Amino acid sequence: MAEAETTPLLEARGLVKHLGGRRVVDGVDLVCREGGVLGLLGPNGAGKTTTLRMLYGFLRPDGGTIRFDGLDAGADLARVKRDLGVCTQDDTFDADFSVAQNLTIAARYFRPGVPALRRRVDELLDRFGLRAYAAMRPETLSGGFKRRLMIARALVHRPRLLFLDEPTTGLDPQARMAVWDLVDGLRVDGLGIVLTTHYMDEAERLSDALTVLAQGRVVAHGTPKTVLGDALGEHVVVVSAAAAEVVGVATWLRDRALDAPVGVLGEWHLPLRAEALADFARAFPSLRYEVRAPTLDDLFLKLALV
Amino acid sequence: MRWLMAAFEWQSRAVVERHLRVHLRNWHTAFLPPALEPVTSLLAFGLGLGSYVGALAWRGREVPYLSFIAPGMLAYTTFMTAMFQSLYAAFIRMHFQKTWEGQLTTQVELRHVVWGEVLWAALLTTIYASIVAMVLAACRLLGFLDVSLAWLPALLPVIFVAACAFSALGLLFTALIPTIDHMNLPIFLFVLPLALFSNTYFPLEHPVARGISAVNPVYHLAEGLRGVLVGGGAAPHVLVAAALSVAMLAVLVPLDLRLLSRRVLGE
Repeated sequence: MAEAETTPLLEARGLVKHLGGRRVVDGVDLVCREGGVLGLLGPNGAGKTTTLRMLYGFLRPDGGTIRFDGLDAGADLARVKRDLGVCTQDDTFDADFSVAQNLTIAARYFRPGVPALRRRVDELLDRFGLRAYAAMRPETLSGGFKRRLMIARALVHRPRLLFLDEPTTGLDPQARMAVWDLVDGLRVDGLGIVLTTHYMDEAERLSDALTVLAQGRVVAHGTPKTVLGDALGEHVVVVSAAAAEVVGVATWLRDRALDAPVGVLGEWHLPLRAEALADFARAFPSLRYEVRAPTLDDLFLKLALV
Repeated sequence: MRWLMAAFEWQSRAVVERHLRVHLRNWHTAFLPPALEPVTSLLAFGLGLGSYVGALAWRGREVPYLSFIAPGMLAYTTFMTAMFQSLYAAFIRMHFQKTWEGQLTTQVELRHVVWGEVLWAALLTTIYASIVAMVLAACRLLGFLDVSLAWLPALLPVIFVAACAFSALGLLFTALIPTIDHMNLPIFLFVLPLALFSNTYFPLEHPVARGISAVNPVYHLAEGLRGVLVGGGAAPHVLVAAALSVAMLAVLVPLDLRLLSRRVLGE
């Protein structure tokens, strides 16, 4: 059966949430399939964490539906939550227990219980490189190992769908890559993963599909490449902000109703479609500039300025 | 009634089990206060202050001061243990340790977390009250204390329900106070006045104080326990203590849930 015909593991339609009198999530649709990684991307305040919290049952949506494997999550949340694993943005492990005990205690919050729990805990300690720290308190671990524990804990009950809320924020590059490897391995195992992140390279490397949020709405959805093409265009022109022609460039953009340039470290970054790039080259024949492929950073910066 | 059903669901028991595991791991330090506090109180109030007071007039008869404060200590322990568990310990778990947030990522929901805290505080309080009762029994065997403890086990369910109510009251403050530094406000404005206007360590004679104590469940619990330990009509006070506790639970648990939902979930 084609992928598009299979029942999605997670399907949300028209999600709405008000917090503090503000509509922070406004009609979000998204889908995650078994073995797929959906990246939720967007600037601060875009509604990523609130959306994620609704998806894993921490918050109740004010509108819209969430279906897990075809089952309405609102109708039987406890049953749905049995198949969900959650790694929150903050470390929320139980500080009163050791690393290994954290896994055991977390398993007791699920019914049906975890068969052969001791073996499952051993398996996770080995897989996540936590064996040497099993008897230690979580707060004594380094940032990278704390994250590993958080992910391992989210998996102790063998969920089918894993939520990772900014899993590598604050980690050094080596620890980030170690977490990436673990996440990639989980995808290979067939787990569905919904991931929020601020790191563009992370979203590009880990996600099969991206849903980009801005001001609580989905502004782009697709594979990392199609999302960039749809939202930004095929090229980004980089011009020195000190160049004499920048005033003319600003006027040129305004006349064509194109987005204002994004200023980064003394440079202007102009996302342009192919035909606009040809026009630009004709309009500024003596201007020195660089043309590069757009990245998710460009998209992120554009959304942050919306 | 979903809020009430949650008290009997497995998730609430899982939360209680978690707290019990932590406590049992530190049992040697955890159970020291309930064992030492009555000894200290009996020595300080009973042998110290008691040697000046001698006997008190209670319900028209003379009662030795030590016998007067022994049931008061049980009521005081019930109130204070439940309150402090749901004030400091619950606040730390909610705010600093993020234990609640971790639990809420599982099949446990906020109503189970709240009932788990309430039931755990009540269980711990009942254990502490039993330890105090054992110390009182030891004092009685040694001839320091003249009280009857035969019917005390029958009052343990009332102590448990009262502790549930006190814990629900503590959680109300936990939901309301912005930081742990503000904990002094409920302590000095509510907890200590309720504990002092309760006939635990001294009899209330002023009419205003007596009027306040009429709606104070700690007072009725102390008087009910005194009726059992010293003799002379426990039933009316035990019934009022139980009724007030049930009424407090019916009002406070839904209110706790509403306020904590706003605080913990942001809703």
